[in-house]
Amino acid sequence: MTFSDMPAKRFKTRRRLLEATALGVGIALATPALRAQQTPAHLRRADPAEIQAIVDAFLGGTQPVTEGLKLDMPVLGDNPASVPVKAVLEVPISRDVYCKELILIAEGNPRPLACRFEFTSLAGTTEVAVRMRLIETQSVQALARMSDGRVLAARRHITVTAGGCGM
Amino acid sequence: MSTPRIWISSDTPQAGDTVRVRVLVEHRMESGMRVGPDGATIARNIISRFECKFDDDLLFVWQPETAISQNPYLEFTFVARQSGELNMRWMDDAGAVIEGKKTLTVSG
Repeated sequence: MTFSDMPAKRFKTRRRLLEATALGVGIALATPALRAQQTPAHLRRADPAEIQAIVDAFLGGTQPVTEGLKLDMPVLGDNPASVPVKAVLEVPISRDVYCKELILIAEGNPRPLACRFEFTSLAGTTEVAVRMRLIETQSVQALARMSDGRVLAARRHITVTAGGCGM
Repeated sequence: MSTPRIWISSDTPQAGDTVRVRVLVEHRMESGMRVGPDGATIARNIISRFECKFDDDLLFVWQPETAISQNPYLEFTFVARQSGELNMRWMDDAGAVIEGKKTLTVSG
């Protein structure tokens, strides 16, 4: 190796290094996008039509009232595998007028219907809390059907820091 | 199967009092969305039904779906009317049953 051919060689390696770096950075930047595209179909958020179908089936033609049902949950789900969600019925209930059915819908989950409760008049109160796994930032909806035909609704938005459905 | 953990706000309430109950059972709640090491999907096995009875009278039924977390936790309230036994049953997709009960003595 002579001194004269040294710079050319160095330029060559430097160019290679730059090219390699650029390629590396490019791959690193593109990976999340690629990964998002490759999310398997069964883990993607449900079709809005599917959520609408669940809501419509529950409503049965009635207009929901957005009062009387409280949905208590955190604004930030720091553990998406276990998000505390509480539904509290705030309207007075009696032996004749009580909550018959209550559903929780996780709108961004692959299976939006999270759970269903069916109460009898013997329960005397309607207050339930569960822990849900949420796959992404989304809204959670609660719908309660009273024995007199009213449907009460509540909806809360939650920011989720990582997916919990695959766990 | 595991024994459920049951917490109750009072097992000697006054008649008409609201009793709060918190229950937790150990269960994997396999969502059916996970893929095993061999590339095959792991079959769904979740607790899909929970029944809460006071003596033989049904208070409510809970039907969890895949969005309910592992080791499902449930909190609920009911009005104590007479002494008796609170009977709870968890049933999973594989047919396993977990049972738990709590005796209540109601005064007044």
